[in-house]
Amino acid sequence: MTALSMTAEQSQAALATDGDMREKISVRNLNFYYGGFHALRNINLPLFDKRVTAFIGPSGCGKSTLLRILNRIYDLYPNQRAEGEVLLDGENLLSPKQDLNLLRARVGMVFQKPTPFPMSIYDNVAYGIRLYEKLSRADMDVRVEEALRKTALWTEVKDKLRQSGLSLSGGQQQRLCIARAVAVRPAVLLLDEPTSALDPISTSKIEELVDELKPDYCIAIVTHNMQQAARVSDFTAFMYLGELVEYGATDTIFTAPKEEKTEQYITGRFG
Amino acid sequence: MAITDTSPPGTNFAMGRYKRRKIGNTITMGLAVGAAVFGLLWLVWILAVLLINGISAINLGLFTQMTPPPGSTGGLLNAIFGSIVMTVLGMVIGTPIGIMAGTYMAEYGKGTKLAEVTRFINDILLSAPSIIVGLFIYTIVVVPMGHFSAWAGSISLAVLVIPVVVRTTEDMLNLVPGSLREAAAALGAPRWKVIVQVTYRAARSGIMTGVLLAVARISGETAPLLFTALNNQFWSVNMNAPMANLPVTIFQFALSPYEDWQRLAWGGSLLITVAILALNIGARMLASIGTKKGQ
Amino acid sequence: MVDMAVKASDISAESPRARTQRRNDLLFRGATLFFALLVLTLLGGVIISLIHGALPALKAFGFGFVTTEIWNPVTEKFGALAPIYGTLVTSAIAMLVGVPVSFGIAIFLTELCPAWAKRPIGIAVELLAGIPSIIYGIWGLFVFAPFLQRTVQPFLINTLGTIPGIGAWFKGPPYGIGVLTAGLILAIMILPFITSITRDVFETMPAMLRESAYGLGATTWEVVRDITIPYTRVGLVGGVMLGLGRALGETMAVTFVIGNSHRIASSLLAPGTTISAAIANEFTEAVGDTYTSSLIALGLVLFVITFIVLSLAKLMLVRMNRKAGT
Repeated sequence: MTALSMTAEQSQAALATDGDMREKISVRNLNFYYGGFHALRNINLPLFDKRVTAFIGPSGCGKSTLLRILNRIYDLYPNQRAEGEVLLDGENLLSPKQDLNLLRARVGMVFQKPTPFPMSIYDNVAYGIRLYEKLSRADMDVRVEEALRKTALWTEVKDKLRQSGLSLSGGQQQRLCIARAVAVRPAVLLLDEPTSALDPISTSKIEELVDELKPDYCIAIVTHNMQQAARVSDFTAFMYLGELVEYGATDTIFTAPKEEKTEQYITGRFG
Repeated sequence: MAITDTSPPGTNFAMGRYKRRKIGNTITMGLAVGAAVFGLLWLVWILAVLLINGISAINLGLFTQMTPPPGSTGGLLNAIFGSIVMTVLGMVIGTPIGIMAGTYMAEYGKGTKLAEVTRFINDILLSAPSIIVGLFIYTIVVVPMGHFSAWAGSISLAVLVIPVVVRTTEDMLNLVPGSLREAAAALGAPRWKVIVQVTYRAARSGIMTGVLLAVARISGETAPLLFTALNNQFWSVNMNAPMANLPVTIFQFALSPYEDWQRLAWGGSLLITVAILALNIGARMLASIGTKKGQ
Repeated sequence: MVDMAVKASDISAESPRARTQRRNDLLFRGATLFFALLVLTLLGGVIISLIHGALPALKAFGFGFVTTEIWNPVTEKFGALAPIYGTLVTSAIAMLVGVPVSFGIAIFLTELCPAWAKRPIGIAVELLAGIPSIIYGIWGLFVFAPFLQRTVQPFLINTLGTIPGIGAWFKGPPYGIGVLTAGLILAIMILPFITSITRDVFETMPAMLRESAYGLGATTWEVVRDITIPYTRVGLVGGVMLGLGRALGETMAVTFVIGNSHRIASSLLAPGTTISAAIANEFTEAVGDTYTSSLIALGLVLFVITFIVLSLAKLMLVRMNRKAGT
């Protein structure tokens, strides 16, 4: 339980060489319930801007649940409730006064499986922009191109923007979903096992993409693949049975974990 | 990467646009709530009217006396009896046919063209106007016999039962896990024994639900009885003669100018509705018991 | 060991017991096949008997049967135009009113309804579907029609009735009974059908797709309009068509409140008739082969219309289920 109490300051100190680290999201004393089931217990951790934080742990440990709190998508379902504080730029997003639509526009999310909307590739990307901004056709074209370029999809789809998003391959669909999330210009990007349904080549493309997006966003990625966590993230949080067992710089977690449980998981003794 | 716009991530919302969207959402969701209230309103209105008019018409005489000539008191005994007889007969004829056909589609013919076509045709029959069924039975039963009869009425109800039972039987048998069949077959049980002794038993409550729903469906049907069983003012147990029944009696009495007939029509309506709602709720409970056991 | 051997040979392929089982199996299989074929012939029988019964009328009037309005039992001249018109117009009114309300209820049930109310409201909707049509009829005749006559119809006559053009639909005295009343009752009757299909169809939508739309910051209405409805489009059309099939063939409720007049009136407030109402009202009183045959011919027309509508509905729903299955 010692690692759990590690504060933002300590972890910041661990990476003191990085000057511009800012705590974008602070999770404080977070508890989560599915009806009567206590799914997350007393979680505390920071998420830094322009950094990638990976959540690892065996299935059912609560890593996806934690991610789903950060944009309050759990709110769609009755009987699910969160207690504690999650501060986004100092503002508690669990507050009942929080405007959920605005929150979700600031915190983008990508899911386990590609979820292209039943519309054209262009409209998939433009959809979120149109919700909040009134742009001329030319400006919109620029924004759509920008988002597709950021996700390295532009050259592949620029000649078929009017085709259905469903006509793309699985990996392309997932990158389209990332483009769609990025197009709204969120501050935070949540990736919930984004490569679990993809082949290795598509997976590595997505991982490269995460690296390229890092300078602009605070990224949280849930993954069941430890190599992936090691490759893409700066910080790693290991969760087990609804608790945060250990959090720290990814290098430290994977080379010198403090907790026995973490070491067992990382070395593949359970999972 | 040629990113033309290097503005920092974050959002530059057009607040007015967002407010308009929120108002639009509030209005449409308000309309959806309104639609739900509107829908429930009819149920409450119809049931309330039925209760108010029906209860005042219900007394012992309703169950012990025959349908009266205009201007005198009476009950609905012959109509109630006729309805029960024809509903039971309709079920007795229709249920086995439906179960057998459904069994073929789910067990033997699964995935074949024949089963697929039968399912399609069956679904058409399920939603086909019931008055067409009345015309059909009129031409194939009433015309050759030369007169209206309780048999014709029962057969037309049976024709309505069949698609309901076929559909539920097929659906329910399909829900029975294949492993159960394989386990029984691995013991050396022949196919038909597997079906009768294992599959049917596993799907029993589901099939029963379908049967109850079929009873509910036919006990209120009027159109197919109009020119098959016709109606009868008097007590009759003769299956070869026209037979009184509740729906057609309600139809005739309600449209008559006589107040006591109209009152009897209300009483009959309440009886039918209570019976059908009870059957529906019973079927629902049976289905939920079935799924609980299945889990 | 000896015992075992005997038992084993007992169930070998050549034993009489195994042969009996094989025979029983074949019998059972044959019986189920027979009844499955019976279901097929049922529909064939309906078609053939209707055509057979309708032939005299079709021979006498030819194609003119469906294009003339005259319906005169005395001179034995029959044309189906008025009931066909009535059937189409009442169904159109029913769809116009019923479909948006059904969609509204389905949206309420899938997106807004608190968890504790979902089941009771769902059951209430299905009870509404279980009420037999004759109850709607008697309620319509004694309660709903007088209510419309007192309130809604005078209002329509004084407002919409004064507008040139569509005003013609709302002219004349408020009878209470009539085409509009029949259409509205049909709307109430198809509500629960379309609602429950729409709700089921909405629920085929993958949770993740719905979440990703909300995840972009879309409002509930935007998610429904831009994602749910386009995604479930085919199923929705199927459900609506199924409702239309019901409305076209509904008999008793309409018979009570439509007024049963073989005239095409320009006003929706005027009495009219539908195919099924005409058959229900006149069949047992029809004298003469031509009259009976004309009514059966009406039935044939109704069957053809509903068959087409229901087939399309079925095909759409099958197509949607295939999509959901993959």
